[in-house]
Formats: sequence, structure tokens, C-alpha cells
Amino acid sequence: MEIAYYPGCSLHASSELYDIQNKMVFRQLGLELKELDDWNCCGATSASKTDEFLSIALPARNLGIADASGLSDIVIPCSSCYSRMLVSQKRLAEDPSLRAVINAELARKVEGKIRILSILEVLAPRAKSGELGEKVKRKLEGLRPACYYGCLLTRFPSDISVPDDVENPQGMENVCTALGAKPLEWGYKTDCCGASAVVNDADQSLSLMYKIMKDAVARGANCFVTTCPMCQMNLDAYQDRVGEKYGIGARLPVYFLTELVGLAMGIGPGEMQIDRHFVDAVGLLKELKLL
Amino acid sequence: MSSPVLEFKPEQASLLLREVMERSGQNLLGCYQCRRCAAGCPVGEESGLTPDRLIRLILLGEREEALNNLLVWKCLACYTCGTRCPNNIQTARITEALKQMSKEAHIKPLVPSVGAFHDAFAKSVSHLGRVHELEFMALYEFKIAADRARRGEWKAIVGEMKEQARLGLTMMKKKRMHMGLEKVKGLSEVKHIYKKAKEKGR
Repeated sequence: MEIAYYPGCSLHASSELYDIQNKMVFRQLGLELKELDDWNCCGATSASKTDEFLSIALPARNLGIADASGLSDIVIPCSSCYSRMLVSQKRLAEDPSLRAVINAELARKVEGKIRILSILEVLAPRAKSGELGEKVKRKLEGLRPACYYGCLLTRFPSDISVPDDVENPQGMENVCTALGAKPLEWGYKTDCCGASAVVNDADQSLSLMYKIMKDAVARGANCFVTTCPMCQMNLDAYQDRVGEKYGIGARLPVYFLTELVGLAMGIGPGEMQIDRHFVDAVGLLKELKLL
Repeated sequence: MSSPVLEFKPEQASLLLREVMERSGQNLLGCYQCRRCAAGCPVGEESGLTPDRLIRLILLGEREEALNNLLVWKCLACYTCGTRCPNNIQTARITEALKQMSKEAHIKPLVPSVGAFHDAFAKSVSHLGRVHELEFMALYEFKIAADRARRGEWKAIVGEMKEQARLGLTMMKKKRMHMGLEKVKGLSEVKHIYKKAKEKGR
């Protein structure tokens, strides 16, 4: 089955490994990711903080391209892109006059018919139905991930329905369980890591990551799992700084969810480029004899 | 925050309230100060102000304070407050509106790096249609370094350079730094969107 795919800027740059993994893993699930033709940046949080019109119109160009693709679903791995596209689609459905203004600028008009999905919304139902479990070749025994959702998978600035518990989501835990891992219950799964504040308000962001890190370590996690490239980048690239500043000795690899699905389905760590994490992500897998 | 007793200023209040409500799309009048938002706000402690207090400032007509406080600049748009609000008030939309209003009023951001960051990001997108991490970071770093130099904050400049160099080196080592530029073919459409946004802002 073909499914439209919006990688977003970070998957074409610092989180390229996530892009590679998504394509590989989804193919094994029988889903061919069709990257949107000539997509543009969604504007992320910055557009909404500088200009309301931009924050709706930038994602709208992508929505127009997606509607013109003729596919019924689009999967968006980055939580920020996912959130901005959903917000734009909803706003344009509610506001026909704004839609007309924006459509006048677009070659491919927004119709509002494509269904927007996160990585989790593709994987979680397949874990529930047992499809994912059947494809597991190597159970991820010994892996105790703290599943980290961050903000934008379950919280939206407008009324958008969430297919999981908003305060205590379980989708990622269910996927991990289907892979043979033992995800743990913890208190910071939907707390904010600060996202771009790590660049522009670093102390604030580091203190938030400290709380996340402290709880994960105290509960006995041996890794983090996430689906958002921003969350991944923050917890991974800044973990040393957080550890040094707050006196935490432990270092936890921060896996993408698709990466764990891929490993369990027997895709090699080299193919998925697992060596491109900041905190060593291969050592733990070797230690647990998963490689 | 040591909060002085605030006085209700009916004339200013209705103007400010109407503007914030229109721009944010939020019904601030629904707030009954239950403070569920305050309990969940990740930056409330450091800002010295929580969403409930910010809403109160607006309702009372404290324009200056509402446009110029740390919460407006430190808000992460994590949407925790709005998700928990029993009256569906999304304060992150309010801080977005206040940020835009404070920019229009030429008020200097209380956290200049936050303002510089979002401006640099939006600018970077307008160049190629996609964000190029290196170009964007260069835009941002130059802007804040110039700001800090003007204020004589040399230590902060050196500190920032050290941290960015450390991150940059690790990113190179992990092959996570990308030099290639990706340009959207339909860039003229993106430029038109920006032009329209500018017209609308006027």
C-alpha cells in the first residue's frame, strides 16, 4: 500500500537516519512511503510565534500537494510538523474564507481530504492487531525503555482528537511490548524537553531535561524511545551537558521507535545507521545480546 | 512574583482584552482562576508568572505588563495549560498573540535570544522554502552576538561560541551535520505566502 510521507526539514538534515529507518521499516510492513513532491518547511513553532497567517499558510501548501497526490493518508514523523499540519487543516476546514485566500496562492489547492497520521498512529494499531508481533524475528528482551512522547503528539492548540490517553498515553508502550521489550511506567512521558529553547533559552531547557532524565534513571530505564526528531535530538545531543550540570552519571541511548521496530524485524544496525546517535546506542544492544 | 494589588482599568481593559481575544481566538472571560494551568506550566517557576496570572493582567487592563513579561518569551508552546484548562483556554495562543503585539509595538523582547531565534527561523524558510540548519543557526548566532556585543556581554558571547563549537564538532563526528542546500522548486509560491503575510500584518 502506498502512503504519502512528509519528512520535514530535520529528517533531511540532522535526523537523516530517521528518514532512512522509516522508509526501510515501513516497507517491511507493506507500506511504501511516497515523499510529497516539492514539500516546504511547515514553519514549525517559529511561524506561529511570529505570524499567524504564515503558520497556517506554510503547512497549507504541503496539504495542497498531499491532497493532489490522490493518496488517502499521509504520515508525518516529526511531532512539530505533524501538529502544524493538523492545526492548519483544521483551521482551513473551519474558515472557508481564509482557505480561499490561501488557495489563491497555491498551484495545488487544499481540499482537506488527506488523513494525517503520526508514526505512532501507523504502528500502534498494528501492534494491537498482532501484525507487528508476527513480524518480530528477534525479541528485544532486556530493553527497558522510557517511552517519551513529548508535547505535540497528544496536545494541540485547537480541538483535535487524540487516539490515546492525553495525560498517560500507552501507544508507544504497546508497540514496545509487542517487540518483546519491557517499557516502564514513569511520570515524565508527556513533559516538555524545551524543544528549540535548548538553543535560545538553554538553562530553561536543560532543567526540563534534567527532570525527565532523573525520573527515567530512577525508574530503572536503560534507554529512551521517542518518535519526534526534536525530542530525540535534545535528549541525545544534550545529555552530556545535562548530566554534567546536574550530576547524573548514567547515559541512556535515545532510540527512534522505528529503529526498535526495525531491529526486532531483523534489519541490521548498520543499515539503519544506529551508530549516528550521540549517546552510544549500539553498546547496549550488544550488552543485551540483541546484536 | 511579588504581586502588587492591581487596579481594574475599565477603558484600557476592554481594548486590550478585545484585541487579545480576537488575535488569539481564546475566550479569556472563561477563566475562573482555578490554576490547573499554573500547576502544569513548565516555565511558570522561572518566569515568575503563570498562565492564570497573565490572563488576569489582561482582564485588568495592564497592557504594559501583559506585553512585557517573562512568560510571553519563555512559553514553550507545550500546550499543557490549554489541554488541562476546564474552559479550553489555550494560553500558548495568548502568548503567541502577545509576542506579535509586542513586536508591533517595538518592545524589545525580554529574552532577546527567543525573539531572534524565531525571526531567524522564519527568515531562513523564506530563502529556500526549507530550513537549512547551518544557515539558520548562522543567522541566529550573528544576531544574538551583535546584540550582546552592543551590551558589552563578551563572556556570554564566548560561552555561546564554546557550546556551539562543542555541539558542532560532535554533530560532525556523528555525521549529523549537513552542508547541502535544498531549495523548493515552487519557491515563488512560498515567497507569495510571505508577501501575503506581510500585507495582512499591516
